[in-house]
Amino acid sequence: SLLCGSSDSDSIKVFIRVRPLTHGTGLTTDGDQNLCLTVTSPNTIRLLSKPEPRTFTYDHVADTDTSQDSVFNIVAKNIVESCMNGYNGTIFAYGQTGSGKTFTMLGPSELDNFTDEMRGVIPRSFEYLFFLINREVEKSTKSKSFLCKCSFIEIYNEQIYDLLDTASASLFLRENIKKGVFVEGAVEKFVSSAAEAYQVLSMGWRNRRVASTSMNRESSRSHAVFTMTLESKETKNEVVNIRTSQLNLVDLAGSERQRDTHTEGSRLKEASSINRSLMCLGQVIMALVDVSNGKNRHICYRDSKLTFLLRDSLGGNAKTYIIANVHPGSKCFGETLSTLHFAQRAKLIKNKAVINEDTQGNVR
Amino acid sequence: MASLSSNEWKAVCAKFTNAQHLTDVESRNDPENDLFRSKYKARELLREIYCSLKNFEEGDGEEHDGGESSEPEPAEQPLDGGKEDSFSRGWSSDSRAGDRAAKLAAVDYYLGVNHVDTEELSAGQEHLMNCMKHLDKCRVSSENVSLFIHVRNQLGILWAGRDETEKAQGFLETAESIYKRYMKENGSPPTDMSEYFCSEENQLTHQERTKKFELAYTHTLYYLAQVYQYLGENERAANYCYSTLQRQLQLKQFNPMEWALNAATLSQYYITKGHYMEGRHCLAAATVVSGLAGEVPSEAAAQESEAESDRREQLRQKRSDIARCWIKYCLNLLRDAKKLLEDNIGELDTDRQDELRRARRREEEEEGRKQTLLFGSEDTFDSIASVEEKVSYLLPLDFTEARGIFLVGQNYVNQAKEYFQMDGYVTDHIEILQDHSALFQALAFFEEDVERRCKMHKRRVDMLEPICNDLNSQYYLLIRRQLMFELAETYNEMMDLKLTLANRQADSQSLDSHTIKKFNHLCSASAKYFQMFLDSLCSPEGKCPEHLEEDVLRPALVARFRVARLHGKLISSSPPVQLDNLNRSLENYKYVVQYCEAHPEAAAAAETELELSREMVGLLPLKINRLKARMAANN
Repeated sequence: SLLCGSSDSDSIKVFIRVRPLTHGTGLTTDGDQNLCLTVTSPNTIRLLSKPEPRTFTYDHVADTDTSQDSVFNIVAKNIVESCMNGYNGTIFAYGQTGSGKTFTMLGPSELDNFTDEMRGVIPRSFEYLFFLINREVEKSTKSKSFLCKCSFIEIYNEQIYDLLDTASASLFLRENIKKGVFVEGAVEKFVSSAAEAYQVLSMGWRNRRVASTSMNRESSRSHAVFTMTLESKETKNEVVNIRTSQLNLVDLAGSERQRDTHTEGSRLKEASSINRSLMCLGQVIMALVDVSNGKNRHICYRDSKLTFLLRDSLGGNAKTYIIANVHPGSKCFGETLSTLHFAQRAKLIKNKAVINEDTQGNVR
Repeated sequence: MASLSSNEWKAVCAKFTNAQHLTDVESRNDPENDLFRSKYKARELLREIYCSLKNFEEGDGEEHDGGESSEPEPAEQPLDGGKEDSFSRGWSSDSRAGDRAAKLAAVDYYLGVNHVDTEELSAGQEHLMNCMKHLDKCRVSSENVSLFIHVRNQLGILWAGRDETEKAQGFLETAESIYKRYMKENGSPPTDMSEYFCSEENQLTHQERTKKFELAYTHTLYYLAQVYQYLGENERAANYCYSTLQRQLQLKQFNPMEWALNAATLSQYYITKGHYMEGRHCLAAATVVSGLAGEVPSEAAAQESEAESDRREQLRQKRSDIARCWIKYCLNLLRDAKKLLEDNIGELDTDRQDELRRARRREEEEEGRKQTLLFGSEDTFDSIASVEEKVSYLLPLDFTEARGIFLVGQNYVNQAKEYFQMDGYVTDHIEILQDHSALFQALAFFEEDVERRCKMHKRRVDMLEPICNDLNSQYYLLIRRQLMFELAETYNEMMDLKLTLANRQADSQSLDSHTIKKFNHLCSASAKYFQMFLDSLCSPEGKCPEHLEEDVLRPALVARFRVARLHGKLISSSPPVQLDNLNRSLENYKYVVQYCEAHPEAAAAAETELELSREMVGLLPLKINRLKARMAANN
């Protein structure tokens, strides 16, 4: 059996990457020469806020001159290796539109150029994963075999769409006692090489674009989740040992679009229509129900789809890296601050097992 | 006297209608790259209206308001604070000046909202404060009271958005007091400010006026609920949530399912505070109001259409959620009663029981026990009361009372499981089972017959054990840990009960082999699950963590301690087996002591266990040596 307990207390790690300033790209941040931050060490960043500059600390901070290869080495290498050992792994990309998420994850042209030095974390992860698989298979003299399948979904407005089958209607999350959480009916494509995996990813990525124009959904407001399920089978003395793990690559909605849900502070929820106010009233009450006093309570409002789907990736037995991309331009100060805050909060997210222990009368 | 000609006035009204339409309807279709197009157009129209009104004022020689511009600007008083005199001082609304001031105030209000909507907050604030200034000259009356409330709602939102919660609170509390005083002193359906700019024939009916006004005040309460929540005044916030819900129900402004979920959630606030009467009332209201959402479509109907399928899903899920809130009500009621009634070793304290019975009787005799909050409209009041009657809100004091609550809880367990089935809803299903098990555990406390108490714990084992073994350990690690620990504790409890029974029966004679077998089985089962729990904390290579994380620190130390104790209790006649058990026992006691020595901060988490472990680490080696000596002698 696989009792994966992690003694590593930092199951969620945060990587901050600062992109270079933009020139002639048509982005609103173009030509902004004033910086709002400096990288002060490999794990600290100083934001030039007023009246005092503020320093933030993370697991890693990469300055503008960091190579794609070193991002991969720090963030993904370990996670891919853990996947080979049966752990689930997740890499989240977060940040404002134009802060370099796509560049970090995919690379400059988004597609196909497999040998490009500029290729991103995802193609490198695929290469490394299949390199490890092939090595294992050889080493085991064929007693070990691997099966890889990929799915690619998008969550927009709390609805799930299959990016590998754009004709399908929205899908549901379900749970199975053996399989955990899964998207019911999502297409799974078998892949046997890094190139094939990358092809599946590219296809989904293209579909995301198509969907965003034809169905009026915006990619900067949706989360995309690419999942590679790895199943290894080992035959030893006629005993078959199967284990599975998942590698999730998540492109989170642009941080500037999340104001409604995340960075709100004490803003009041308005009641422009009474139905909306009812929904929000529930959230107010939820905030009142104290969890810390040991009382047992049920809250009727479900987790967001993304949190539910990736529950296993937050704490417990999974390895998680969050890459938060920021733009150094002073025009982006507000967004950068909120991204840095988000990244700091992310480290605190953790699933915990609350053990209901009866402390009274047990020691006799 | 200069005044707007009827044609000019018609033009103003047309502009206003147009501006409203642009704001409410057209703006929804504005393209992503020109988000506020319609709102900007509406703003222009409002400005034109403002100019028309102003011109009219300036041309009016009789009531020239010469003071306005030369008046010293009042020091900014954004806290609002009372305005007690606004009912007695200022222009009356039927004066020309009062009428004009209110109209200007209204346009400023709409301009303010428009600027806030387009993210120009300071400009919005300026307009809203201008609105306040115009209103300051007016006496509160049915013609303008609505505007008095609305502008404060908007200023509340605005200041809260800037993290200046106290300022927001000031405006909203003033709105609240204006509403209350108006309703007390006047109460006639007030004019809505949108009516200022429409022709006679388009005025609202009394009913429509009341509805709009009451809705504005409902929003005041709803914003105050949020403000108090941000200020950490939870009880006040909860009261305002309650008032908001109550008004929605009374004014028939609600979606039944949403309303019911909110009431059910509010019940969870009350039960965590130990206010069971209020909690029960919220839940009964939730049950009744969720019934107003209609019948669940049949499976056949759901297969026919997607809309019906969605509706079926929604209704079933939300009703199951409400059932789960009821389960928590029953569970907490039982547990709180248990806490009150147990003595220092966790058994029923009969003196305490008598005392509580007497106290309850005294309370019942004192007339005037009253319901502190009441939900209901004319149609729902009786049904809510009849749902309430089905379960007590009093802490149960004996087995019969406890059983009554247990049965209600169990009924809701079955209801909730119908929707949250294992296949598809693993986590939810298991949570419900865990509650069911907890209900049994709480009920067992009230059961005096040890044999029957044991059977209740057996029911817990039967419902949790198969799932614990079937669950994928990778995907459900945390849930499995909870299950393993609970199973271990349940077996432990059963073992203790068996021992109590055996001691009673066999005071003089030794235990029979059947009892020993049973006892050893429970003992090993408990140790097995504690060990599984401990193993789940280790690395895949089986290495124990050097540092236990905070959330598992106490459970891990307790589990070690129990494993030690259980091995010490196993009965065997074979000396080598005895030796084995004692060694394992010692090893685990040692772990507790050594871990706490290496991590001094851990000692506080398991104080009693640590103390006893230290003692055992001192004593056990003697016992082991004696056994070894005896074994050597026998050889």
